[in-house]
Amino acid sequence: MPLAAVELSTLPQQLANGILLGSIYALIALGYTMVYGVLKLINFAHGEVFMLGAYAALFASWGLGFTPNNTLTATSPVNLLIMLLASMALCAVVGVIIERFAYRPIRNQPRISSLITAIGVSLLLQYGGQLFLPTSPAPNIDGKVNPYRNAVELKFREAPLALREEAKGLESQVQKAQAEWDARLAAGESRFAPSSEGRIVRDALNAAKTELNQKQTEIARQSAVVVLPVGQLIMLGATVVLMGLLTYLVMFTRPGRAMRAVSHDFDSAALMGVNVNSIVTFTFLIGSALAGAGAMMNATFLSGTKIDTFFGMLPGVKAFVAAVLGGIGNIPGAVLGGVLMGVAEALVVWVGIGQYRDAVAFVVLIAVLLLRPGGLLGSSKVEKV
Amino acid sequence: MSLAIHRNWTQFAWVRLLSVGGVLLVLSQLDGLLAGQNDFVKRLIILAGLYVVLAVSLNLINGITGQFSMGHAAFYMVGAYTAGYLASTQFTRLNLPLTLWMPLVMVAGAIAAAIAGLIVGLPSLRLRGDYLAIVTLGFGEILRIVANNSTELGKAFGLNVSPNFRSIGLTWGLAILCVACCRNLLKTSRGLQFLAVREDEIASAAMGVPVTRTKVLAFVVGSAFAGAAGAVLAHFEGFVSTAMFSMDVSFILVTMVVLGGTGSITGSVIAAVLLFYIPEAMRELPDTPMARILGAPIAIVALLRREQERFHGPARQKWARNLGIVLGCVVLAIALGAVLANLPGMNTMVQGSKLRMVVFAITLIALMLLRPQGILAHHELSWDWVQRLRGKPAPTHEVSA
Repeated sequence: MPLAAVELSTLPQQLANGILLGSIYALIALGYTMVYGVLKLINFAHGEVFMLGAYAALFASWGLGFTPNNTLTATSPVNLLIMLLASMALCAVVGVIIERFAYRPIRNQPRISSLITAIGVSLLLQYGGQLFLPTSPAPNIDGKVNPYRNAVELKFREAPLALREEAKGLESQVQKAQAEWDARLAAGESRFAPSSEGRIVRDALNAAKTELNQKQTEIARQSAVVVLPVGQLIMLGATVVLMGLLTYLVMFTRPGRAMRAVSHDFDSAALMGVNVNSIVTFTFLIGSALAGAGAMMNATFLSGTKIDTFFGMLPGVKAFVAAVLGGIGNIPGAVLGGVLMGVAEALVVWVGIGQYRDAVAFVVLIAVLLLRPGGLLGSSKVEKV
Repeated sequence: MSLAIHRNWTQFAWVRLLSVGGVLLVLSQLDGLLAGQNDFVKRLIILAGLYVVLAVSLNLINGITGQFSMGHAAFYMVGAYTAGYLASTQFTRLNLPLTLWMPLVMVAGAIAAAIAGLIVGLPSLRLRGDYLAIVTLGFGEILRIVANNSTELGKAFGLNVSPNFRSIGLTWGLAILCVACCRNLLKTSRGLQFLAVREDEIASAAMGVPVTRTKVLAFVVGSAFAGAAGAVLAHFEGFVSTAMFSMDVSFILVTMVVLGGTGSITGSVIAAVLLFYIPEAMRELPDTPMARILGAPIAIVALLRREQERFHGPARQKWARNLGIVLGCVVLAIALGAVLANLPGMNTMVQGSKLRMVVFAITLIALMLLRPQGILAHHELSWDWVQRLRGKPAPTHEVSA
């Protein structure tokens, strides 16, 4: 397969995209890693909790008036906050319900039974959701709900001035040609089968456009500009804040200490007076709420994201890979893994084999499990008889 | 002593030969016997046969060897694409009769899938349990994405497979061959190694079982049968595309194995036929109000689970009691449906065909909550087992290896 020409100049932009996307993976991965730490269970339904979170955000935005074909123009950050809270609350409730009714009754069975139940819950939410939720045409959250739609441009290096001047000249040429063509169209020229004079005008327009495109590509190659949408920067900021809160919760509070105790040794923690059931519920609550936050931000700030009931499948799998990559059961590892997964995906797009971006997660997973099964920050233990 | 064994062996040889001959005779006549049926029924019978092959071969990996694989659709796909590629490039060149071509293609599909199985089986040396499940799932997806982007394999459109070959006898012949292979494998000392690896890997390694070789062998044999089934599918459908082998197929196959009882060959066969037929039958289902759809599973899970846990009595009373519970479930489901129908939005009609995968999901969850060991658990549906169920001692066949 021929690789498209690899452009070194687009690398910083792709890396930035990767980190922004990776912050969502990190939020989902935290849920996987916390549940695995406490129950040693891969919560396959986590991706579907993420999907439900996106739907909650969608319905919240509809409730705020941003229905399809709305005519609203003004919005405020409060709307975003409401959507975020709605999404986190619904996900927390769903996560706790799943734990209570699907995982708790079989906690003492072999782990494979829990895994199969998790797959069952995941399929139930995917296909059962199709009975209730709007899926076709796949809805998306109206971009107008987001007040931060402008972008920050970081210019590391500008293209030579002469080149930019040329591009400007070409731009005005294109505009002139376009105006001429539009005038002919308005005068009744056929768009598809123009007369001979019309064809000359059209060809001139197309030639000018091609030249402008080439020039712009040249400018992009010679300059280094990173475009960062403000919304996505806020997303990254919110992710960092949530992770800070989580770290505080796990490291410096009583429930956090209990959670670490349960994760270290389930049975001993129970014997020492830790209420294991409530800690497991608490873990699911926190993990699912984080997934809900990720879902809302994904669906809102990556504008035009279509939501359907399979929305959570691929992010779920990738976040799981991120958790394994960082060392499953390890909270900083999940964040690191999430960011690395996002960057890996962006690099695949950068190299020019974007159609394989969904395969890269599995390749990374297999590589990690074969080379360093404990993950980057984890430690692998040898099983003793 | 040696004479007795010899006589025993010759007797068995006659029985074997007769039964093999009988099966072949029936299979060869099967297409003629069912010629009167319409195309839809024939299609169902053939696809059910393919699912039996897939479920039994997955059972060899998942149930008998205990290596939890969730990528069985990938081996199916490898077989189907091998057949499709060979048919589109070689069939007109070689100009073989179809009766000779089909076995050749099946063998080719099996070999290709076995190689894929070998590649997937190798990481299983280091992984166990849920990690292996994820990796096999990942391999399946990687193969699918690669096929989706490969020009030789027709990208997302897939390949057209020119000679259509639809034979019930061939499909079920493959199914019977698969069942026979698995069943006979378990009677040999090599087969016991598979079971030993499932029960305890470390202990069996200590006893001298080649754990690595056994696991890889299970993957190779299981995927070879799936590949042969894929070759049949390619010639049956007349085309192959990656959409036919999505993750859902793997999940359905896992459900079949688990529903039948992991490790039970007859269980897999029964579950494969059931789980293939029920969703097909549900296509005919009239539109149902949402309330009933919600009521039924809640009733089943809630009531069955509670009642099952409470009872600790003799087995005979248990049967009567279970019957009562099932009746109670039906009553509760109807009552719940009636209550839920009063809620807003609960009378929306749902198409029966949309419930296909929902049924799989509910089956999986309910099964794990109520009877995690599956319908037949680790038993085989055989005459001896039925005798034992009725309380009569059956002759034991102890395998001395």
